[in-house]
Amino acid sequence: MSTTQVLEFTRGPLFKFSLLVFTLGMLYRFFRILFLGWKKDYAPPRGSAWVGIVKTYLKSLIIFPFLPPKFPSSRHRPLTYIAGGMFHAGLFVVIFLLAAHIETWREVLGFGWPSLPTPLVDGAAVVAIVGLITLASNRFVNPVTRMLTGVGDWLNLLFVFLPLVTGWAMYHHLFGLDYTKLFIAHMVTVDWLLIWIPFSRLSHFLTYFITKTMHGAKFGRLGVEP
Amino acid sequence: MSEKTIYESLQERGISRRDFLKLATLITAALGLEYAEMPRIVRAMETKTRLPVIWLEFQDCAGCTEALTRSLDPTLTKLLFSDISLDYHETLFAAAGAQAEENKRRVIEEYAGRYVLVVEGSIPRKDQGVYCTIGGQSAEALLKEAAEKAKAIIAVGTCASFGGLPKANPNPTGAVGVDTLVKDKPIINVPGCPPVPEVITNTIAHILLLDKPPKLDPLGRPKAFYGQTVHDRCPRRPFYERGQFAESFDDEGARKGWCLYKLGCKGPTTYSACATIKWNGGVSFPVQSNHPCIGCTQPDFWDEGGVYNALSAPPGAAEARGLATGVAAAGGVALAVGHSLYAKKKKQKAAQAFQAQKQAEASQQAQEE
Repeated sequence: MSTTQVLEFTRGPLFKFSLLVFTLGMLYRFFRILFLGWKKDYAPPRGSAWVGIVKTYLKSLIIFPFLPPKFPSSRHRPLTYIAGGMFHAGLFVVIFLLAAHIETWREVLGFGWPSLPTPLVDGAAVVAIVGLITLASNRFVNPVTRMLTGVGDWLNLLFVFLPLVTGWAMYHHLFGLDYTKLFIAHMVTVDWLLIWIPFSRLSHFLTYFITKTMHGAKFGRLGVEP
Repeated sequence: MSEKTIYESLQERGISRRDFLKLATLITAALGLEYAEMPRIVRAMETKTRLPVIWLEFQDCAGCTEALTRSLDPTLTKLLFSDISLDYHETLFAAAGAQAEENKRRVIEEYAGRYVLVVEGSIPRKDQGVYCTIGGQSAEALLKEAAEKAKAIIAVGTCASFGGLPKANPNPTGAVGVDTLVKDKPIINVPGCPPVPEVITNTIAHILLLDKPPKLDPLGRPKAFYGQTVHDRCPRRPFYERGQFAESFDDEGARKGWCLYKLGCKGPTTYSACATIKWNGGVSFPVQSNHPCIGCTQPDFWDEGGVYNALSAPPGAAEARGLATGVAAAGGVALAVGHSLYAKKKKQKAAQAFQAQKQAEASQQAQEE
């Protein structure tokens, strides 16, 4: 099997399979949460759920990634807060605003959108990688977080780290490897990540928004639920 | 068929010693060798006689031959046609039929172990090779016959190297490249559709002058010409780095010569000297003339998911999209509903069991009382 054939396999059939596992898994997770059951409303609500949802999303949009700095989590752990924000923001830019990735989305979704200049995305990738390394080392150094961290959590960090690094290395032709081999490494790690996500806490990329929406709705509605 | 050395025949044509040394220097550079190797080339040209070449064509379009005849490096072409001389070439040969075949057999016997076999086109293996026969013999038999006594084999073009277009999915003729069938001879792959003409002549000249195959990469291609990607040497590379892409063949970006990545350029994964040697005597090459690289020097480039699909666009995802979404959605809902129903039932059962236990306890208590 030549490297071209391996590459074609990893970006063709294997990618499709991973995508299927990912989609199936995430849909299962989504509906599973949806069907957990809803409590009945016993009194007319004093506010609108929709306004609550919009408010909570607006809040997270205008404040540095996801958490306002006044929260205890950010005040007591500024490193986690800043590195976490860096990582998530960088990852978002890399996944959704790199020209090459938009072409992938276009193929998968059927539509695309404008990209950011590659050097900016390159910078975002560095930000994400640095953020991730910081988070991981902090997690390891701090005895409390180390105790709280299981094998799955370490693997989560690793499996997100690998596609990021291989993709970045591919762009810069690093490690003395040629583009094709790094491309294969990138595709294999991406394919594996797609399979891994639904079975791990990385599925918080979806469940986070479910929780956020529910919270927003609840705080907006101000109803009575025994 | 004289047995004069290359230098002698050049002298006959009135080439001075000075010009001869210049030519040797040029050839050294063209072969991708270091300058220190130049004396070796000179000595080789002074002592070597002509190199007989047998050129076989199987499942091909003769495009590689067409490219070869347009090789504009005059020194090497001259070398090839006057001093190397093609002893058997189906397209360029004046002779035909049994006469040509006989001549080929004569060359094979007369120059056994000394001639270079050039193969153009892939070899069909399905149905006993009926899809390509010459003079009643299958391509496979012809290849094996000529390969047996060859000094080295050069697989010219992607078809001979890797199967190429005839091998494209679903490969109706069972086409394969030369190296699938011949194992005991040095094989040099010179892929391309067609290869850069100078790369063909330079590879033949390398064997003629240095008596050994050039350094090869893992796919059997001469490293001197296939060591770097088209992307590595692309004149549009700065636009790639800057993220300036042509979105269509006729937009502002295309007119400004921006990167063709989004239009399907396979430059980053394609190893070839296209961007450096170029075509038609260094005039241009596909990317320069506003067409993305199609990756023709790589195995199975026809099945890479579309010439105009970006390299990062997974091949065939669009076709699979509808089906995948449907299956996934239905499966996801079914799984979730099933699971929650199962959970409900489990809960009910637990509740029933609890009730039963309670009743049992109550009745026991009543009995005790």
